[in-house]
Amino acid sequence: MTDDNRVMQRAKADRPKVIRYRGVVKRYGELKALDGVSLDVHAGEVVCLIGPSGSGKSTLLRCTNGLETIEAGQIEFEGAVLPPDERGLRVIRQRMGMVFQSFELFPHLTAQENVAEGPRTVLKMKAADAQQRADALLAKVGLEDKASSYPSELSGGQQQRVAIARALAMNPDVMLFDEPTSALDPETIGEVLTVMKRLADEGMTMVVVTHEMSFARRVSDWVAVFDVGCVIEQGPPRQIFDAPLTERTRDFLSHLGWAD
Amino acid sequence: MEFDFSVIGDHARFLAYGIAITIALSVVSGLTSIVSGFGVAMLRLYGPRWLKPVVVLYIDSMRAIPVLVVIVWTFFALPIAAGLTMPPFAAALLALTIHLAAYAAEIVRAGIESVRPGQTRAALTLGMSRRQALRRIILPQAIVRMLPAFGSLLSITIKDTAIASVIAVPELMRQSETVAGQSFQPIEVYTFAMLVYFLLLFPVTRGVDRFYRSVAHLGRS
Amino acid sequence: MTLDWSVVWTHRDALVDATGATILLAAATMAIALPCGACLAALRLYAWSPIRTIAACYVEFFRNLPLILVVYWAFYVLPILTGLGLSPFLTGLAALALNVTAYNAETFRAGINSIRRGQVEAAMALGMSRPQALRRIVIPQALRRILPVLTSTWVSLFKDTSLVSVIAVTELAYVAMQVRAQTFRVLEMLSAMAVIYWLLGYPQAKLVDWIQRRYAVSE
Repeated sequence: MTDDNRVMQRAKADRPKVIRYRGVVKRYGELKALDGVSLDVHAGEVVCLIGPSGSGKSTLLRCTNGLETIEAGQIEFEGAVLPPDERGLRVIRQRMGMVFQSFELFPHLTAQENVAEGPRTVLKMKAADAQQRADALLAKVGLEDKASSYPSELSGGQQQRVAIARALAMNPDVMLFDEPTSALDPETIGEVLTVMKRLADEGMTMVVVTHEMSFARRVSDWVAVFDVGCVIEQGPPRQIFDAPLTERTRDFLSHLGWAD
Repeated sequence: MEFDFSVIGDHARFLAYGIAITIALSVVSGLTSIVSGFGVAMLRLYGPRWLKPVVVLYIDSMRAIPVLVVIVWTFFALPIAAGLTMPPFAAALLALTIHLAAYAAEIVRAGIESVRPGQTRAALTLGMSRRQALRRIILPQAIVRMLPAFGSLLSITIKDTAIASVIAVPELMRQSETVAGQSFQPIEVYTFAMLVYFLLLFPVTRGVDRFYRSVAHLGRS
Repeated sequence: MTLDWSVVWTHRDALVDATGATILLAAATMAIALPCGACLAALRLYAWSPIRTIAACYVEFFRNLPLILVVYWAFYVLPILTGLGLSPFLTGLAALALNVTAYNAETFRAGINSIRRGQVEAAMALGMSRPQALRRIVIPQALRRILPVLTSTWVSLFKDTSLVSVIAVTELAYVAMQVRAQTFRVLEMLSAMAVIYWLLGYPQAKLVDWIQRRYAVSE
C-alpha cells in the first residue's frame, strides 16, 4: 500500500492537525526512549498508541504536555511549536487534559473539589461557578451522587471517571490518556471505557495509550504501533488489527492473543 | 579572636581516655538495652496477661522522664533507697539501660508486628509450632526491619552517654569540661569535642543506612 | 533512713515556677524551631545547589551532636559571637532552638518528599505552576504526615529542657537539684523531680499516641 492510499483511508485527514510530532527524540541517559517519532493527530480523531511495555508510548504522551522535555525534533500543538519555558507550557497544559494510569486524584479533596480544583486555582473561577461546572461534569461521567465522597471511598473505576471529569473541567482541546484502565479491576474497566467512547462520539480529540485492543479497534480513527521508541506501523484500525503490514506488529498482536 | 588548639595536644591522653569511656559506655549500654528491650518486648507480646499493663507503664514512663533525671536518680537516690553503692560508670550503665530498653522494646514490638500475619499462618500450616514459627520465620524478617530504628537508637545512645558527665563518669564530655575549666580555653576544647562526637555519630547513622539497604530485601514478604 | 517528704511541699512555689520555666522554654523553642525548620527544609528542597548543601550540612551537624555539648558550647561561644552576654535562659533557648530546628527541617523535608511525584504531575497537567501545586496539593497532604512526627519531637524537646540545667537555667531539673543540695533530702527531691516530669510527660506521650493513631497514613 502506498502512502497516498493510507492517507485516503484516514477518515478525518482533512481536519486541522491538532498535534504534530516530527522526529521526536527523547533520551534517558544512554537509553533512547523515543527514536525519531513522527505522527499527526487531527481534530476530532481518536488516536490509539499501542505496543509492548517500554516502547515509548507513555513517554510520547508525557512529552506532549511538557512533563518531559525532548532532545531533538519538535512537537506542534495547534500550529505552534511547544514553548520551552514553564510559563508557556502552563498555558498549553490548560488546553490539554491528561488522565493518568494511577488516577492521581488529590486525596485530601472530595470528588467535587477535585474536579473544581483546576477551574478554581488555574482559571481563577469563582468557587460557586467552579462547583457548578464540577457537578455537571460529575453527572456527565455518571457520578453525581459521589460529589462529596473522598477518593479513598471510591472504587478504581469511579476514581478514574472523576479524573476524567477533572481533566474535562478545563475545557481542553485534546485529551491525553496514559493507560487509563491498566490499574483497574476487570469489572470496572468497562465503565471507564464507556465514558471514553462517549467523549469520542462527542467529537473530542483524544490520544490514548492503551492495552485494551478491542477498545482501540472499535473506537479509534488511527492507530500507531510502537516498538523500541519508534512507530513501526500506523494506520486505520482495520489495517492494524485485521491486516497488519509489518511482521513485528503481527508478533505483538499474536502475543496478546489477538486472533487475526 | 585567637584560637590555640595546642591545648588539645597537651591533654591528648586525658581526652583520649574520655573517648574510650564514651565508646565503652555506648557499646555496653547499647547491647544491654537491646537485650533487655528484646526481653521486655517478648513479655509484652507473649507474656502473661497481667504483666502487659506493667510493661506498658514502664515503657511509657521512660518516654516521659528525661534521661538526665534517670541517671541522677540512679546514682544519688538509688543507693539511699536500696542501700547499695555504685561507681558512676555502673550507675550510668544501669540508668541508660533502663531508659533505652523501653525504646528498644518498642522497636522490637513494631518490627515483629510489621511482619504479615500470613507468614505465621504459612509457617503453622507447614507443621511448625508457634515458637518455631517465631524463631525461624518471623524473627529473621522482623530483625531486618528493626535495623534502621536500632541504628538511630545507637546514635541516641552515644549522645546520651554525654549526659553521664553530670555524675562524673569520665567520658569525653566530662573530660572536656575538666580541661576547659583548667585551661580557660572552652571554645577550643568544646569544638574538639564536637568534632569527635560528629565523627563518631555520622558514620554510625550512615553505616546503618547502607547496611540496611543491602539486606532490606531479606525482610520484605 | 528517715524520709521527709514535706520538703517537697515546702518548696512547692519554687518547683511550680520551675515547671513554668520548663514549659516556657519548650514552647519558646518550638515557636522558633517550627518556622526556622520550615525555611531550612524549603532551602534544602528548592534552593540553589550550594545553599542546599549548606542547609544539609547544618541539619546533619546538629543531628549528630549530643545536645548537652551544644548547650555548653553555646554558653561559651555565643557571648563571643554575638558580643552580648546572654542570660542562661536565652543561651539554653538558643541551643535548644538550633537543635530542634535541624530535626524539624528533616521532618518537613521527609514529609514533602513522601508525596508521590504523580500528584505534582497531575496538578501541573491541569495547568498549575509548581508553587501552586506545592501550596494546594503537596503541602496539605504532607502536613498530615508531618504533624505526628512534630508531636513526637515536642515530647523529646520537653525532656531535653532538663539538659539546660547544666548551665544553671532555673527550670525544673536545676531547681529540684538545688533544693536537694540545700536540704540534703536527696531521695525525696530526686524522686519528686522524677514524678513531676512523669506527671507532665505521661499525658503528653499518650496524647501523641492518640494523634499518631488518628492521623495514621495508609497508602
